[in-house]
Amino acid sequence: MLKRMQRDAVLLSLMNEMRAKGSWCGETHIQKSAYFLQELLNVPMNLEFILYKHGPYSFGLTDAITAMRADSLLEYQSRPPYGPSLLPTKTGQHFLNQYPKTLDKYAERIQFVAEKIGKMGVAELERQATALYVTLNEKGISNSRADMITELKPHIKRDQAEKALESVDAMIKETSEKGY
Amino acid sequence: MSTQEIRDPIHNFIRINPEEMQLLDSAPFQRLRHIHQLALTYLLYPGATHRRFEHSLGVMELASRVFDVVTNEDNVIDGSVKRIIPNGLLGYWKRTLRMAALCHDLGHLPFSHAAEDELLPEGWDHERFTVELIRSHEMKKILSRMKLDCEDVAKLAVGPKHYKESRFDDWEAILSEIITGDAFGVDRMDYLLRDSHHIGVAYGRFDHYRLIDTLRILPKASDDDLGSQELALGIEVGGLHSAESLLLARYFMFSQVYYHHVRRIYDIHLKDFLKNWLPTGMFTTSIEDLLQITDNEVISELFMAVRDKEHPGHDAACRIARRRHYRLLYQRSREDLEMNREAGKAVFEAACEEFGSSEVRHDYDIQKGGGLNFPVLSRDNRILSSLTESDALEKVPLVAIDYVYISPECRKTAEIWRERNLKRIITSKEGEDEC
Repeated sequence: MLKRMQRDAVLLSLMNEMRAKGSWCGETHIQKSAYFLQELLNVPMNLEFILYKHGPYSFGLTDAITAMRADSLLEYQSRPPYGPSLLPTKTGQHFLNQYPKTLDKYAERIQFVAEKIGKMGVAELERQATALYVTLNEKGISNSRADMITELKPHIKRDQAEKALESVDAMIKETSEKGY
Repeated sequence: MSTQEIRDPIHNFIRINPEEMQLLDSAPFQRLRHIHQLALTYLLYPGATHRRFEHSLGVMELASRVFDVVTNEDNVIDGSVKRIIPNGLLGYWKRTLRMAALCHDLGHLPFSHAAEDELLPEGWDHERFTVELIRSHEMKKILSRMKLDCEDVAKLAVGPKHYKESRFDDWEAILSEIITGDAFGVDRMDYLLRDSHHIGVAYGRFDHYRLIDTLRILPKASDDDLGSQELALGIEVGGLHSAESLLLARYFMFSQVYYHHVRRIYDIHLKDFLKNWLPTGMFTTSIEDLLQITDNEVISELFMAVRDKEHPGHDAACRIARRRHYRLLYQRSREDLEMNREAGKAVFEAACEEFGSSEVRHDYDIQKGGGLNFPVLSRDNRILSSLTESDALEKVPLVAIDYVYISPECRKTAEIWRERNLKRIITSKEGEDEC
């Protein structure tokens, strides 16, 4: 399991990569990409995710982001018309440099997540992350996974749920082939 | 059924009906008369003697007001909001919300948060006790007489972070946000107003009348593919300044009161006392035991310990009762932070080596939660982000503390030692990078 400082370095690196791939990098983007990184790519960040805001959500991650802001490693950047982006600061980049071994170990997995979901908006991330959550946590349910998604998140339409499931299934196959 | 009115310094009158009064008269709720809201803060701010009892009443009153505003037909402008409000069951949910608000702090240990971190087994906190107490025979009986489901009450009282047994649907998520929400939770609104009133500082005040009046259930974003349509508690743009003022009040109260270094060292001495006095060095997880211990029992034992040199908690008790608390030796600066994120830990470890661990204490904490990004309804009915609409919110600082304390007996020597060694200690510590 990663220690708190290592976990924060991984999260900052994830934000850098997501941003490099075109992500808006607001808090929801970070929540969902961290969920993929931990649950699909098995990076042990010790975050507990429940199905809540926009799909899987970790209160612990919100606290970690707040702590990084309090420690000046992260800052908001206002970008109308949507919510703000979160950017690593100069202090944050300096902090990152202290964890070369940790970052090296997880670099490929961070890249994988950024490439797959970096370009997605909040609504699409919500669908994909909920699809992954249902796939990983609702084994053995009687109704279909798509039904489950629309039941859990009534604002997601059935065809959107099916499309998200297809995409998530392809990612699961790819990560298993890569041995993550 | 006639409603009773309870006088309150913050909300003037708190109205409660006879059915609800039964819950107020229950043993778990009456116990809150003897749990100080701010632990030993009264040793610094003599007015801070208020208890969880009146805070819980205040939370119920505010929760009720918010419920009436957000479910008022004139304030429900979006179809997606209309769909989640269970019109035929509004009475049930309002009563459930009121009782959840009243019960939300039932599980506090003596002196509230002061001892919670280290004196409970892994996986236990006051929220878990709260849920257990709501499910207890006495409370269940009262709630079922009111035709309320105790699980619904427990769910709303502690919110999704602490209630893991079942998921929250959109409606339940909004209702629990009314009590426990980071941005507009009435728990926070009441404690800021009440604490600042009793302490005698103005920092915690804000225009809660205006704020509550402008609260709305809103989708997180306007209807396009990029933003989520999930619902959250937000505000009409006219209430934005009141929201800014609430979040600034939170900042000021944390920096000036809750994280005050003397207040924090008293919590540490109290923990030391309890560790030495409690039979296993911890509280048990039995709710029967919890119901039998309040601040009164602890204070009574503490003064016995002051008089008895053989008492295992004698030293810690004297630190509190005779005001011989440890003094601040080190407080992290921004410059230190840039060199070492764990500067306080480094100083603490070095000071322990130099003076012995019994003479040194360390306190590290950071404000929790998020809460600054919420939907705002503009005058032309667009949904906007609070952080793009308010320059002030983006700049509200967060409070973090990293304190090292030293016993008064070692203070002078320690200050000289700090002057000579601080830079070396902070810069010599590297981050842990082992995989």
